[in-house]
Amino acid sequence: MPKCTLNGKEIEVAEGTTIIEAYKKLEEDIAHYCWHPGLSVAGVCRLCMVKVEGNPRLQIACNTVVQDGMVISNQDDEVKEAVRWGLDFHLINHPLDCPVCDQAGECGLQDQYMKFGKYDPEMAERKVKKSKVVDLGKRVVLDSERCILCSRCVRFTEEVSKTNELGIFNRGDHSEIGTYSGKPLDNNYSLNTVDICPVGALTSRDFRFKQRVWFLNKKQSVCTGCSTGCNIDVYFNKEGVWRFKPAFNAEVNGYWMCDKGRDYYANLNPYETHVEGERKDKKVKRIPVRLLNGMKGSEMINSQDLATEVGQKLKELGGEKVALVITGQQTSEELEAVTEFFAKDLNSKNVFYWVNNKENFDEFDGILKRGDENPNTKGALKTLEKFGLNQTWSQLTDGIEKGHIEMVLVLGPENQQVYPDFKTRVEELSKAKTLVWTTACLNESLDKSNVWQIPANTFVEKEGTFINHAGLEQKISFITDLVHNAFDGVELARLMRGEDLPEEERFKNSPYKRVDNEFTSIRGDL
Amino acid sequence: MSLVKQPSSTSSWYLPGIFKGMLLTFFGKMLKNLFNKKDMITLNYPEEKYQYSPRFKGNHVLTVNKEGDIRCTACMLCATACPADCISIVASEDEDPTVEKYPISYEIDILRCVFCGMCEEACPVDAVRMGPEWQTPGVNGSQFVYDKEHLAYRPQLNGGKGIQSLCEDTERHNFGI
Repeated sequence: MPKCTLNGKEIEVAEGTTIIEAYKKLEEDIAHYCWHPGLSVAGVCRLCMVKVEGNPRLQIACNTVVQDGMVISNQDDEVKEAVRWGLDFHLINHPLDCPVCDQAGECGLQDQYMKFGKYDPEMAERKVKKSKVVDLGKRVVLDSERCILCSRCVRFTEEVSKTNELGIFNRGDHSEIGTYSGKPLDNNYSLNTVDICPVGALTSRDFRFKQRVWFLNKKQSVCTGCSTGCNIDVYFNKEGVWRFKPAFNAEVNGYWMCDKGRDYYANLNPYETHVEGERKDKKVKRIPVRLLNGMKGSEMINSQDLATEVGQKLKELGGEKVALVITGQQTSEELEAVTEFFAKDLNSKNVFYWVNNKENFDEFDGILKRGDENPNTKGALKTLEKFGLNQTWSQLTDGIEKGHIEMVLVLGPENQQVYPDFKTRVEELSKAKTLVWTTACLNESLDKSNVWQIPANTFVEKEGTFINHAGLEQKISFITDLVHNAFDGVELARLMRGEDLPEEERFKNSPYKRVDNEFTSIRGDL
Repeated sequence: MSLVKQPSSTSSWYLPGIFKGMLLTFFGKMLKNLFNKKDMITLNYPEEKYQYSPRFKGNHVLTVNKEGDIRCTACMLCATACPADCISIVASEDEDPTVEKYPISYEIDILRCVFCGMCEEACPVDAVRMGPEWQTPGVNGSQFVYDKEHLAYRPQLNGGKGIQSLCEDTERHNFGI
C-alpha cells in the first residue's frame, strides 16, 4: 500500500489510486471539472494540477497514480498560477451570465472563478456565439455557449448508459456537444448528464427556471420508483418538493438514478402549477393534486375524525366482515401496524396483498431500473409471513360478491401510475358496502358515494423502512410537511384503535412548524 | 454617542423659558412668515406637495425596453437580496433564446418593503428601480401587493414619459456584451 504526503498530511491509499482520489479521501479542496468518480479519466480540463516533488513539471491529479513516498501539493503558487490560467482558457467563450443561468448556485465554474477573481476574461477577442436552448431529447436542454467541453456527458452515455447518443462535434472554438441526427438523447438515464454537467450547459427541461437552487433545502431519502431503492437527495422548500437527485451509495445505486424515478416528485406536491395566458399576461394557476382532507363520499370531513370512525365501524363489524388490502408501497412499519390492528385487535384473517404487475417483476434493465415498481415488496411479504396470512385475491372478490365482507380498508398505492389495474380494482372493491381508501393523490375513480378517502402521507412526510429487492433495509426519514391533514399508516392504526394524535407530537420535526400568534392569524404567514 | 445636557440653575425657573419661546414664535417665525410667504417652510399638504430629489427611493418600477417588454430576466437576485422577503417571482422560459427567461409573475408586497434599495442594487440588468412615488394609498391589503402589470405599466409611468422606466441596451447587445 503506497504512502504519500498531500499538502503536508500523510495518507496511505490502495494500490492504483490516483492523486485526485486521495485528495477526495482526505477531503481536501482540489479544482476539477472533467473528472467524475463514476466515469473514466479524460484529463481534458487541466485544472486538477498538482506539484509532485522531484518532478520538473506539474501533473494532473486525475491521471497520475500515487507512488510510494510521493510528496504532493496543490497549495503552491506555481499550481495556483497554473489553475488561474487554465481557468482563463475555460472562460474564453463561456458567457459568464450567471444571474440568468440555471446552474448558478451549484456551478463548479462559478465557484472557481469567484475564488480566483476572474470576473473578466483577459481576451481581446469576442466570445464565440453558439446555439442556445437546443433540445437534445425529451428531458435535456443544451446551451452550447456555456459548455466547457469537459466531456462528462459524452463519457456517461458511452460508459454507463451505453447508448452513445452524445458526441463532441467540430473543432477548436467551434466544438459543440450534440447528438447524431435522428438519434435524440432519450434513454432512461438521460438526466444524469444534467447532474454531472459542471456548468449550466445541460439543464433539465422539467426543473429549468422553476426555482433557484439556493432557495432549496436538501435531505437524503430513498426513491420509491422501483424495488432497487436508489438513494436520493430530495430538494424542497416551503412550497413543496422540486426535484430528486441521486445520492451516492456504493451498495445500491452508485452515483446514478433513472429518469422515471425522478419524475415522481411532482406527485408529492399538494398543488400542480399551470401557466395560462399569452406572452404578456401569463398567469399561474394552482390545481390540487393531493387529497387534502378526509372525504366521506362527496362530503369533506376532518381526516382524523374519519379515521376514528373507520376504526369504530371496523370493531363493530368484527373480524369476518372486514378486510384489509396492502401493497408494496408502504413502509414496513406502516404495514406492520395496520396488519397488527387487523390480525390482533380484530382477529381477522382477511388481509390481502395487491400485486400490480406480477408478470414483469423480474425485469431488469441492467443498470438500475427493475420491473417491480414497488419499493417495499419484500417488506409486505415479510409482514404477511410474520402474521401467518396467506389469503388469495379471489377469496376477497368472492367474499365481497357474496356479501361476507362488508367493509374493505385499502392502504392505497402512493404511486398510482405504476398500478395499471387501479381503476378495475376500485370497481371490484367498491361493490362492498363501504370501501375505505387511504390515498395520497386524488383519483377520479375514487369519487363514489360508498368510498371514504383518508389522506395519506407520501414517503417524504414519514419515517420508516423500505426493504429493497436484495433484502437491504433502508431507513427513510421525515423531510417536509406538505399536507397538514394527512397521516401515515402507523398513525392510522393508532387512530383506529381509538387513541389520540397530539398535534405537537405529529409535527415535532416539521421544518416549517407554524407558530400561531396575532400576526399569523391576521396577515397570513409572516 | 449621547450628549446629556446638565440642567442649569436658570432652567429650573419656569417663566423666563416660556417668554423666550414666545418671542421666538412671534417675532422669529410668525412675523417673518407673514411678510415673507415664499420662504415659509410648511406646506398646505394635499394641495401642495414636496418635491423630493430624483434619487429618492420610493415605490418600485420595473423598467421596459423599446418594445414595451419587461427587462427582468427573473434571476431572483432581488428576491435573494431582499431583507424583508417581500419580492416573489415565478419564472418561465421565453421564446427568444437570447432572453432565455422572464417573470410570469413579479409581486412586491409594498407593506413589507423597507425601501432599502437592495433589490435595485442587486439587479444585474437594471430591471428594477425605485421611483419617486411615496404617496400610495389603498383601501385594503390586496392593493399593496403590486403585480407585474402595476410595477411596469401603471398610468403614473406614462409609458416611460412620466417616471423614467424606459431602458434600452441594444447597442450593448450589438457590441456583444
